[in-house]
Amino acid sequence: MTADPLLEIRNVSKQFGATKALDSVSLTLYPGEVHALLGENGAGKSTLIKIMTGIHQPDSGEILLQGHPISLHNSAQAQKHGIAAIYQEPLVFPDLNIAENIFISHQRRNPLVRWGKLYRDAEKVLAQLGVALDVRALARGLPLAAQQTVEIAKAISMDVRVLIMDEPTASLSIHEVKQLFALVRNLRKAGVAILFISHRMDEVFEIADRVTVFRDGQFVSMAPVAEVTPERAIRDMVGREIGDIFVKEPSPRGDVILSVKALSREPRFRNINFELHAGEVLGLAGLVGAGRTDVALALFGIAPAHHGHIEYLGKEVHIHSPKQATQMGMVYVPEDRRQHGLVLPMSLMANISLPSVKNYRNQFGMVQHHKEAATAEHYRQQLSIRTSSLSMPAGKLSGGNQQKVVLSKWLNTKPRLLILDEPTRGIDVGAKQEVHRLINDLAQQGLAILMISSDLPEVLAMSDRVLVMREGQQMGIFERHEATQETIMAAAIGQSVEKPVERAAEYA
Amino acid sequence: MQRSKLWARLKSWEALLFIILCVVIFVNLRLSSHYLDLNNLANIFHLSIEKSLMVLIMAFVIINGEIDLSVASIMALGATVLAERYEAGWSIAAGLALALLVGLGCGLLNGLFVAYMGIPSLIVTLAGQIGYRGAARIILEDRSVGDFPKWFTSLGQDGFIGPFPITSFLFLALFILGLVVLQYSVFGRYVYAIGNNRAAAEYAGINAKQVKVTLFMLSGLIAALAGACYAARLGNVRANAAEGFELDVITIVLLGGVSIFGGTGTMLGVGLSLLVVLNLRNGMSLSNVDGNTQTSVVGSLLILSVLIPNWMQRLQRLLSHLFAKNPKLFNRGGAAEPKSPVSVHQ
Repeated sequence: MTADPLLEIRNVSKQFGATKALDSVSLTLYPGEVHALLGENGAGKSTLIKIMTGIHQPDSGEILLQGHPISLHNSAQAQKHGIAAIYQEPLVFPDLNIAENIFISHQRRNPLVRWGKLYRDAEKVLAQLGVALDVRALARGLPLAAQQTVEIAKAISMDVRVLIMDEPTASLSIHEVKQLFALVRNLRKAGVAILFISHRMDEVFEIADRVTVFRDGQFVSMAPVAEVTPERAIRDMVGREIGDIFVKEPSPRGDVILSVKALSREPRFRNINFELHAGEVLGLAGLVGAGRTDVALALFGIAPAHHGHIEYLGKEVHIHSPKQATQMGMVYVPEDRRQHGLVLPMSLMANISLPSVKNYRNQFGMVQHHKEAATAEHYRQQLSIRTSSLSMPAGKLSGGNQQKVVLSKWLNTKPRLLILDEPTRGIDVGAKQEVHRLINDLAQQGLAILMISSDLPEVLAMSDRVLVMREGQQMGIFERHEATQETIMAAAIGQSVEKPVERAAEYA
Repeated sequence: MQRSKLWARLKSWEALLFIILCVVIFVNLRLSSHYLDLNNLANIFHLSIEKSLMVLIMAFVIINGEIDLSVASIMALGATVLAERYEAGWSIAAGLALALLVGLGCGLLNGLFVAYMGIPSLIVTLAGQIGYRGAARIILEDRSVGDFPKWFTSLGQDGFIGPFPITSFLFLALFILGLVVLQYSVFGRYVYAIGNNRAAAEYAGINAKQVKVTLFMLSGLIAALAGACYAARLGNVRANAAEGFELDVITIVLLGGVSIFGGTGTMLGVGLSLLVVLNLRNGMSLSNVDGNTQTSVVGSLLILSVLIPNWMQRLQRLLSHLFAKNPKLFNRGGAAEPKSPVSVHQ
């Protein structure tokens, strides 16, 4: 690493509302290196990418390109400086052909397109990459790997100097990954600096020259790959401060409420097996995209499983709609409250009564507002929903109060089984603790709870057992005393640390 | 608290419509001495009874986030079926029953395509508009069929109470029913919830597809019923009856404060909007303004109904902006308040 640094990020901070997404982080990229960036969900990787590509502007700190400070106000400026990013899901225009896609953002602004030149230039770029694609073919229907190649070609044609690859291999087959890595090595040889983000440790160790770890928006460590071991990287990723998080009290484990056997919905998840007892909280851990939400959606009947068995209260059931699941007493508190949890313009009261509004009819079939109001008032007190009025539109409440409204609406249906998807995401610390207490109380009352969470301390504090998923697969179920941040993260990224994953799988 | 509630109510679209209605009535009173004649008042409703009926169900459809462009064609088809069957020797009752069934069937077809095949209602009902009209043309070709029995036409023409024919009371009954169902029933709650956020409604266990099919079927049914009213009112039916009615119907619904994107609007607003448009047209007729000009005026009103709230919001924002910059500007003498006197929404 004798060359001068190509891109330097110095003490960059970025705040979104109350959360500090990046806290004075620094990162240096040298020409001709592959620099891996590791971190849990929410470590600040995406924010850094967005700052590097001009989508977000840092609150403080500076970015230097070859020693000169630059400011990036939009992605066009980033492109001009030779900074480009490719993502897990390539952003190609399906109805344009490959050549058009490559030159989409920097076609010569002539009144007429010179098709011949366009095709020749596109072929030249692809030849440089050593790939053979028909530049006249439409991007629609191209395999993901080919779409990524098009994205890379686009970057090359813009004389890219810094290429950010955000989980580029997540949707690729092994063979395609090999091809991609060959491309990456070519780029490295050509002096491009590559920021490589991946959750697959083996890939990181295969391709990277140096490894940086972020945690909670902060820089944790940076070292040449030779000095890093998977164990150390994982420890750096997870060593998160627990703070004074509420810890679930032991609750009596009752009968089996839900039993899932060999549940599959390709390509989202396959062969999921677990039992969930009354009074138990089963944590569902894993990285974003591991298929956890898909399992929940299958149980709730939104995207039913293709194979496998679901036994609910001892009987085999086939769930095809949320209506059916709700009637059975199985409810789902979705991850995206605003999209799936609430009808934002409707009042808090109407949102709470929505799934059970039929119970509020009088003999003429009319909804009795005073009874709805009584229910809403009950939950306002019980869950301490802070609002000036029950007829306030749900959209005007804070995140924490919105989540309490969603919880109220489902608790009001008297469920037996509660599926929580990221129950405390985006809500403030106080409300978070209240939600944790509520989960604890509900478990004490004998509810079976399946809790999806990307917040490892939360998973550890609230779960009686933890099921870890990785890329659609069940990696194991950990009893409470076996679960640590390290074991869970190791399982979530497919590494074995201290406790072999195979042993954990025995509990499944 | 009380004051802000009152203020919110005053600012509501319904209040604005009510003021517009008062203005229209006032102007009509000044323009024509015949305006208050009982016969004229009856005419106001009588002459547009078909549109009025279809407005009621269109409000539901649009609040649900859909649109039905095929109502006028279903109406014509309903009238056609009734007339053709009567001509073929059926009784009026049997013909009416078949017409209503046909309307229901057309609506079912629309609903199935929209809800279960996921085709946008704009496209489905545009196809329906063409298709159902075509069916009416196939049945009647260029003929005008009438010669209905006296009792049937008198239902649509003669006064039932005073000069008001029974169809006016049918409308009144359906309006009250519609208001109760939309504003106070479980079904109405579902219509709003789905129109606002279909995904959240479905996640809450509501069968949105069922609700949508039901609405389109009701829309077809009411349209066919309007067709029967039309046959009774005019005494004869042609296949090109009611062409372009759907746009008037949609205009009235939107003017009533229903968002074209679904989710908002009230039956009260739609009722007021209907009164505004009918009285406006009546006043213009009394002043001998021709039909085309009347249509342009109603069209301008629709555009204004979208623009005025936009302008009001901008004005509010501007005011509060100025106010925040220079509190004394609007509050000479007294102490400067930190907040704007007008609350800005969103």
